[in-house]
Amino acid sequence: MAIVNLQNVTYKYPLTEKPALQNIDLQMKEGEFVAVIGPNGAGKSTLCYTLAGFVPHFFKGELTGSVEVARNETSKSNLHEWVLNVGLAFQNPFNQISGAKYTVFEEIAFGLENIGVPREEMKGRVKEAMKMTGISDLADRSPYSLSGGQQQRVALTSILVMQPKVLVLDEPTSQMDPIGTREVFSVVRTMAERGMTVILAEHKMEWIANFADRVIALHEGQILVDGKPGEVLTSDVLTEKGFGISRYTSVARRARELGLWKRDTLPVTLEEAVKGFKE
Amino acid sequence: MPDRLSFYLKKNSIIHALNPFTKLTLVFAIVTYGLIGAGFWTATILVCLALLPLAFTARLLKEYLGVAVKLILPTAGFMFVMQSIFIPGGTTEIFRLGSISIELETVQRSYLIASRIFLFISAFALLLLTTHPSELMTNLTQRGLPPQFAYVIISTLQIIPQMQAKSLTIIAAQRSRGLDTESSFIKRIGLLVPLVGPLVFGSLVEVEERAIAIEARGFTSTHKKTYLHEVPDTNLDRAIRTILIALIIVAVVWRVWPS
Ligand SMILES: Nc1ncnc2c1ncn2[C@@H]1O[C@H](COP(=O)(O)OP(=O)(O)OP(=O)(O)O)[C@@H](O)[C@H]1O
Ligand SMILES: [Mg+2]
Repeated sequence: MAIVNLQNVTYKYPLTEKPALQNIDLQMKEGEFVAVIGPNGAGKSTLCYTLAGFVPHFFKGELTGSVEVARNETSKSNLHEWVLNVGLAFQNPFNQISGAKYTVFEEIAFGLENIGVPREEMKGRVKEAMKMTGISDLADRSPYSLSGGQQQRVALTSILVMQPKVLVLDEPTSQMDPIGTREVFSVVRTMAERGMTVILAEHKMEWIANFADRVIALHEGQILVDGKPGEVLTSDVLTEKGFGISRYTSVARRARELGLWKRDTLPVTLEEAVKGFKE
Repeated sequence: MPDRLSFYLKKNSIIHALNPFTKLTLVFAIVTYGLIGAGFWTATILVCLALLPLAFTARLLKEYLGVAVKLILPTAGFMFVMQSIFIPGGTTEIFRLGSISIELETVQRSYLIASRIFLFISAFALLLLTTHPSELMTNLTQRGLPPQFAYVIISTLQIIPQMQAKSLTIIAAQRSRGLDTESSFIKRIGLLVPLVGPLVFGSLVEVEERAIAIEARGFTSTHKKTYLHEVPDTNLDRAIRTILIALIIVAVVWRVWPS
């Protein structure tokens, strides 16, 4: 039974002509880690908002088709109930800071205060979540005084701590260095293994190839390809439609034209590329 | 960006440990006495006998006096100028500067107003210096202040230093594209116009995103909220509040009683 079920979803923002999402069909199993890729304006953030209930509850406009998470339908639920099932971390970390809290610890506890978690349990959960994302040492800092990457970690932690069934992450590592990115991806992977369903919009192909179970390529609001990372990330359509692809894939494709790449499949990561070239 | 976003100064003192509501009642009592007591020295006496000892007990005498100097001198000066211009007509000349005569009445009136303003503002300043804003808001929310209201207050308090930082960024960005912000005052005022757009519209977009963000954290949840900070309310607090409220009632009754 799919925990996320989108059927023929089309959505237009108010006062726009072109749909930002068009005929989207998407089913996700519990504990599945799905990455969404696509060029700027492809509709990644819109898809995230739709899953998290902000379309149609916050962004009005025109939504058709059905969006179901854990057998509830968005259009029939309240946003404040919905967010308990689906947690969303946004693209811009700065605007995710609640603005009402003076320390990172308080900031992360904010969501738990709102949903009425008892104090002792709250403290325990905040500490544990901070440890997981590696920000325990930031506990007493002001959320405003952090770097972009640190803010993104705080934003992620603030959502993780609420333990949603489905975790929606919109470019959660856009301001992070490779070390930060690796840590975030492995935390997310761990959460998926514990049964959290994860959907993550991202541009960093190599990381996706290493960590995600499945990749969806969005283009002008439509799903272009949907499949295993190795297949989707190396498919020729991506290049044709102007997606950014991994440099290892491009190198190997060029090498294949010159007869230097012998395998049938193209690599996404450095390791795969090295192995392939050794053959 | 400054790490300190509030007035609050952490110290280990009885005043700091009091419940925020007790301190708020104290401020309220002081304001009531300041308004009701009509005497010339009322405000001064309250400052000397109530606020200064409180500041001392809170180990914030230096900070309190700092606020005092920054606040009372300009206010008194301003009041004095306004009074001299708009309400002349004193009779007791103290001294004369060329054609301007300085009269005792004007000085007295300015002092009266300035000392009252100082009393009110510095009572609040003392509250803010000794109370963590989160605790204050938590406490008020627990006592029935709508959380939306508390949110607006706290986020506004936090947003001011941010706006300052952001306007510096915008100025730097525009200057690097050749905007002159260093010439004469009048010219600079005109040149500030391009700053307003990004600052205001940028803020509006952010407001939308922030609204979504707090929504995503269950802000409008119908569950009963809980609070990270425990704000102790002791017997001492309740005793102090009872006394203060009694004092307020006495003052009000005293004042309105037909004599
Ligand atoms: N609030 C809005 N009102 C109207 N149109 C919008 C709004 N937000 C996004 N759009 C439009 O919807 C389309 C999809 O935008 P979306 O933000 O989902 O893209 P994205 O894939 O997240 O891009 P990026 O990589 O830049 O984050 C774009 O054409 C965009 O202009
Ligand atoms: Mg986006």
